[in-house]
Amino acid sequence: MNTVIQAFGLVFQPDVMIAIFASAVYGLTVGSLPGLSATMATALLVPVTFYLSPIAAVATIITASAMAIFSGDIPGCLLRIPGTPASAAYTDEAYAMTRKGQAETALGICLWFSALGGIAGTLSLMLIAPLLAEMALSFSTYENFWLAMLGLMCATLVARSSPIKAIAAMLLGLLIACVGIDNPGGVARFTLGSTDLLGGIEVIPALVGVFALAEVMRSLTEREPPKLEHRRLGGILKGQWELTKKYPKQQARGNIIGIIIGVLPGAGADMAAWVSYAMAKRFSKTPEKFGTGHPEGLIEAGASNNASLASGWVPALLFGIPGDTITAIAIGVLYMKGLNPGPTLFTEQASSMYALYIIFILGNIIMIPLGIIMIRLASRVVGAPRSAVMPVIMIFCAVGAFATAGNNLFAVYCVAAFGLIGFVMEKNGYPVAAMVLGIVMGTMVEQSFVTSLIKSDGSMLPFFSRPVASVLAAMTFAALLWPVFSWSMQKLRARRVAAA
Amino acid sequence: MQLSDRLTGGVIATLGSLAFFYGSKLPPVPGQQVGPAAFPMVVGAGLVICGALIIFGIGRHFEEVAEADVASHTAPELLEPLPAWKNWLALLPPALLVFYALASERLGFLPTTAIMIAAASFAFGARAKLAIPLAIIAPFFINLIFLKLLRVPLPGGLLPFPW
Repeated sequence: MNTVIQAFGLVFQPDVMIAIFASAVYGLTVGSLPGLSATMATALLVPVTFYLSPIAAVATIITASAMAIFSGDIPGCLLRIPGTPASAAYTDEAYAMTRKGQAETALGICLWFSALGGIAGTLSLMLIAPLLAEMALSFSTYENFWLAMLGLMCATLVARSSPIKAIAAMLLGLLIACVGIDNPGGVARFTLGSTDLLGGIEVIPALVGVFALAEVMRSLTEREPPKLEHRRLGGILKGQWELTKKYPKQQARGNIIGIIIGVLPGAGADMAAWVSYAMAKRFSKTPEKFGTGHPEGLIEAGASNNASLASGWVPALLFGIPGDTITAIAIGVLYMKGLNPGPTLFTEQASSMYALYIIFILGNIIMIPLGIIMIRLASRVVGAPRSAVMPVIMIFCAVGAFATAGNNLFAVYCVAAFGLIGFVMEKNGYPVAAMVLGIVMGTMVEQSFVTSLIKSDGSMLPFFSRPVASVLAAMTFAALLWPVFSWSMQKLRARRVAAA
Repeated sequence: MQLSDRLTGGVIATLGSLAFFYGSKLPPVPGQQVGPAAFPMVVGAGLVICGALIIFGIGRHFEEVAEADVASHTAPELLEPLPAWKNWLALLPPALLVFYALASERLGFLPTTAIMIAAASFAFGARAKLAIPLAIIAPFFINLIFLKLLRVPLPGGLLPFPW
């Protein structure tokens, strides 16, 4: 109990409160601008978190990302353009409701069920993480190695692309993490004689390049979204309570799927929304209504993407394995602030963990009033011209990376290079999230791999002979072979249909 | 920037083999069997395999399914291809960042970013009425936030921040 009171004391500080409020406004604004993702919003926040207290820093990341995922629904509803990729799965449905004259209901669903989903996700985080932490305390390097491998494989499995390309992207990330002298032998690897590369490639400039600069580049090659006309909206929350009572099953399913996908490394809000929307349609009694402005899928997917956000922190806090691209950034901030991820975080810094839960709940509660204000102002914000927003973001990329990498101009080159890499990869079907996961986890994977090999005198046997390690290894190989299996099942089914 | 799978697969395989050979040349840790060479070699070998599979078009099927899914959820007018020169325009932001890295120390933060914002804004099709005021005002605010609030030592150069 004492720790809980301590946690409240940590959260209800003026600086934390200001940080939560300011990052909420920031997240709502960035999320509602088409083409700017929640990950980008988070990446650009990192330099600011440098100068905040640990709890305030984590609070900005949590609040901004939750708000951005919700407000991505606003341009989806009103313009049929998802504000963030996490809204893409149900943009059609929301827009169809708007065309039927139910814009306020659609926006209300997005807001109300986002908040509920976010709270459900937080409850799961509070429940699962301490349980897993006990188990994780008994893990040795073998288990850690397989856990990291499983994380990497999951990320390639859920990428909406060719699994081979996803694995290639992930390996590329691991290779990037090899650069520098931070390795078992302490020798300079892949530095090509450059002193700047001796310290390795920093994660934050790489993330800013891949997620922010590459998006600026992509929007240069895409059409300007149409202008949003001003529209009078009725009560946003009117009728939401009836919908909550009418569709309890959809909500529960959306929350659970969101939580599961969030816990899986590398798969985040966008994946959760796609899967939940498909599930809602599959199990609906009226699947023919989907796509015509039917609330069912919207409720399920809208809850799901916000639920995944909180549960994505489970592997991040426990193992330093990012649950999605946002927590990939958050892990960097956690290390920076001395809250090093690991099972001991839950015993030694319990009050900080409780503070984190409180911030999540608080963020999802203030989402409702702030979200309503944002919806009312949407026609002003969403209409901000791209030609004014994008150049400023580009400058933030440069200055932000410069500031986080110890005021070194080399970071700016890194951002430029990774922007280019991210852009080319995206255009050719290589999922950048998999590469980012590789970069973030590379050092950890290598350390657990090499230490394990040294312990076993070069033998691979202990990797498979320890009970937990063998289960994790089996799961990793299953994840590796799953695409082959699903592909051959499809072939088989097609042949059966052809024969019949 | 749409490249063929053969090309990207080839690049990946080449990169993998370079990593493998470079890794194998790394000095071992005396008295130990595994050292800094092991991991790059494993990753390099993996990249070679992936590159080869991509060249042969394996896994392409999954990509087509995902692409069709996205296409069916997007407004049709957003999918129409743009003229090819627009693709090259995408190189402007990284080029401007390189310009920043090269010029900001000498020119100073305000002039460098003003040039960058004006160039990018025009590339997005802004009129001078928007681009020029933006290029004057925005650097000022960003400088204020980072230099004064966050205390990042941004270069003053020719035109230091006025207070």
